[in-house]
Amino acid sequence: MPEGTLCNKQPINTDEQLKLVLNDKGGKQYYAEMEQLDVDTEKLWNTIQKTMKSRLKTWLEICAHCGLCSESCFLYQVNGRKPEQVPSYKIQSTLGEIVKKKGQVSNEFMRHCMDVAWSWCTCCNRCGQFCPHGIDMGVMFSYLRGLLYSQGFVPWELKIGSGMHRVYRAQMDVTTEDWVETCEWMAEENEEEWPGLEIPVDKEGADIMYTCNAREPKHYPEDLAEAAILFHVAGENWTVPSEGWEQTSLSMFAGDWECCKDNVENVYAAIERLKPKRAIGTECGHAHRATVIEGPYWVGREDGQPPVPFMHYVEWLLEALETGKIKIDPAKRIKEPVTLQDSCNYVRNQGLKNVTRKIIEYIVEPGYFREMAPNKEYNYCCGGGGGFNGIGKYRPQRNVALLKKLQQIQDTGAKLVIAPCHNCWDAIRDLEEEYEIGIRWSFLKPLVINMMIVPDHLKPEE
Amino acid sequence: MSKKILLATTGSPASFGAARVAFQMAKRYGSEIIVFHVIGLPTKAYSQIVHDVRTGDEVQVDDDYKSWVEDELRNTYARQIEEAEGGVSFVLTTGVPHREILRTARSEDVDLIIMGASSGSIDHIDYKGYTGSTLQKVAKAAKCPVMTVHRESAAYRGGFNHVLFCTDFSKQANHAFKYALNTARECDCDMTMFHALDVGGKVLAQNEIEDRLIEARKRMRSLYGSQMGDFKNYDVEAWEGIPYMEIVKLARERMADLIVMAHHAGESDSDEARLGSTLEQVILRASCPVVSVNKPDKV
Repeated sequence: MPEGTLCNKQPINTDEQLKLVLNDKGGKQYYAEMEQLDVDTEKLWNTIQKTMKSRLKTWLEICAHCGLCSESCFLYQVNGRKPEQVPSYKIQSTLGEIVKKKGQVSNEFMRHCMDVAWSWCTCCNRCGQFCPHGIDMGVMFSYLRGLLYSQGFVPWELKIGSGMHRVYRAQMDVTTEDWVETCEWMAEENEEEWPGLEIPVDKEGADIMYTCNAREPKHYPEDLAEAAILFHVAGENWTVPSEGWEQTSLSMFAGDWECCKDNVENVYAAIERLKPKRAIGTECGHAHRATVIEGPYWVGREDGQPPVPFMHYVEWLLEALETGKIKIDPAKRIKEPVTLQDSCNYVRNQGLKNVTRKIIEYIVEPGYFREMAPNKEYNYCCGGGGGFNGIGKYRPQRNVALLKKLQQIQDTGAKLVIAPCHNCWDAIRDLEEEYEIGIRWSFLKPLVINMMIVPDHLKPEE
Repeated sequence: MSKKILLATTGSPASFGAARVAFQMAKRYGSEIIVFHVIGLPTKAYSQIVHDVRTGDEVQVDDDYKSWVEDELRNTYARQIEEAEGGVSFVLTTGVPHREILRTARSEDVDLIIMGASSGSIDHIDYKGYTGSTLQKVAKAAKCPVMTVHRESAAYRGGFNHVLFCTDFSKQANHAFKYALNTARECDCDMTMFHALDVGGKVLAQNEIEDRLIEARKRMRSLYGSQMGDFKNYDVEAWEGIPYMEIVKLARERMADLIVMAHHAGESDSDEARLGSTLEQVILRASCPVVSVNKPDKV
C-alpha cells in the first residue's frame, strides 16, 4: 500500500507536517497507518548491502549463541529471564532474520522488530562487555533502528523528536529567538544575587563554548542559570552560541542518521564560527555521546575528534574543583547516604567513571557515599535510555525496566541519587513516581552551588 | 494601580480567593487580566503527555484538550469575566508552574501577579525535584509584586482602606515600601508601617527590648517618613514577638485589607525558607491579601 499521511518513509522536514503528526493523539492514526505500510524490501536489502560493514556482518556470523550475554542485560533480568530477552537472541531474531532473508520481510515482522529495537534494548552497550567475542548488541540495535526508521517503522514520539531536530534544530520547539531570550532572562533573573553575572551569546574567541539540552531552555532554564553561576564564580571566559547550542540528538535514538549528522554539523559550525578554545556540554549523557563520541565520525572527521576539545560537564566541574576555581565549604558537604547514577553514555561509552567519583569526594562527607552494585562501566542503564523514556506505546515495558534501578538504589539505602544526565534524572524521577520509594534526585550543578564558597568580591553588596 | 494582572490559577477552589481579588481589582481599577494556567509538566523528553491537574490522569496535550481546559476556566469564572472591564485573556501552557508563571509575567510585562498560596501540588512528583514552593520561587524571582491570597476569607471586599507595610529594613523592604506607599496614595487609604522585633527563642532583658523598639520606630520615621511627601495618613508601630504572629495580629487589629512585605532574595535554601519564612507564614494566616515585593522594577 502507499505510504500513510503520518506514518511513512519520509522524514518530517516541515513545521506543517510536524504539527500534523503531533496532533495525532497518542499516535493512534500513525500506528494504524503503520499496519498498512509497505516494506520496500528491495531498498531495505540495498541499504543493508551498502551500509552493513564487516564488523556487524562478522558479529552476526560469529555469535555462538552461548548465552553469556543473558545476565548482562537488565531487561532480561527484570522480564522473568525469558529466552526472548537474551541479547543475542534479540538481535539474531530481528536484524539477523532481515539479513538472512535478504530484506524480504513482512510488515508484521518489521513492527515486531520495532517493538524489540525500542522496548527490549536501550542500546546501553552493557552486553558488549560480557561477550567472549566482544559483540555489542547496542551497536547492532542502533543499526537496526536506522533500517527501521528508513522504512517508516519508528515509534511515533521518535519520529516527532527527529522531526523537531530537522525543523527547529532542537529536540523541542525552541527557536533561536527563544534561546537567546532565555539567556537574557536567566542572566537578568540572577544578576542581583550574582553581581556581574552574564550569559554571553556569540562571543568570539572565548575559552569555553557551552552547549546544552533543549529541555533546559524549554522547561528548566534554571539549569542554564546554574551553569552560568558556576562559570561566573570559577572566573571562566565563556559563551553560548546563538545557533548550534542544542547538543542532543533524539535522531540518534530514532535511527535518523542523516539528521544526526546535521545536528552535529550545527554544533561544530558554531565552534568554527566562534573559535572557542574548548567546548563544554551540559549534564546529559546521550548529548555527549552524539556530539563528542560518535558525532565526529558521523560528520567524517578523520581524527575522530570534535573541532576543539569537547568535555562533558563532569570533566569541567572536576577541573574547577581541582584547580580551586570552585571551592567547597566542608561544612556544607552532603551528610546523608547518597548514591551516584553512572550514565551509560559517558561512563561506559567514554570511561568518565573516576571523574564523577572524584567530584563525589569533594561534595560528600566521607562515609556517606554508597556505590550501587554493580557500578562504573558495569552499572545498569537507568531503565529509560535510548529513547525508552519518551515512548508512550512502551510505557508499561519501561516501567518494568525501572525495577533494576529501583533495586540497586534501594540496596544502597541512599535517599539521594546524584544523576548527572538528563535521561537518568528523568528515569529516576519516574521511578519515584511509579514506585514511591521515597528518594530524591539531583544534578550536580544545584548541589555544588549550595555548597561552594563564594568569594567576597562576587557577593552582592548588602 | 496595576494595569496588567497575571492571575495564576489552578482553577480549583484553592485559588478562588486569588481569582476573586484579581477580578475585583480589575473591575475597580480597569486592569487587564491574563488568566494563566499550567496544564501540567510534560513527562520525559519531548512527550506530549501531562498529568491533568484535577484528575491526575495522563492526558495528551493537543489543541482540543487545551480548548477544553480553557472552556472549563471560562465557565468557572464566567460571571467575573463578564464584569471585568479591562479585558480578559487566557494563557495555557505546559511546564514547571513557577517557571512558566515567571516566563509569562516577563513576556507579557505584567505589573502584578496574583496567585493562591498552595495548589496542593507541592508533593506531586512533578515538582519534587525542585525545592521550595511555587509561591516562594515566583516571589523570589518576579520583577513585579506578587499578591497571594491563601483563603477565600482573605479575598478583600472591594477596595483597599488600610495598608500594613512590614519591614525588616532590608533593601527588598525598601522596594516593598515604595509599593505600599504608591498603593496607599492611589487608593487614598491609611497605612501602618510596622517592624516586628524577633524575640523568638531568645531571652532579652526588657530594657533592651524597649530600647530596640524605640530605635526601630526612629529608624522607620527617618528612613520611610522622609519619602512620604504630602502623604499624611500613616502611623508607625514596633512590637516584639514572633514576627509573623505579630504581623497577623496587627493586621487584624487595624482591619488592614492589604499586607505588603519583602521576600528575601538571600535565602538560598528554599526548602528551609519555605517552611520557615515569615512571608509564607503571614500568607497562610492573614485574613487579607499579602503582597510580596523583591525587586524595584514594577513598584
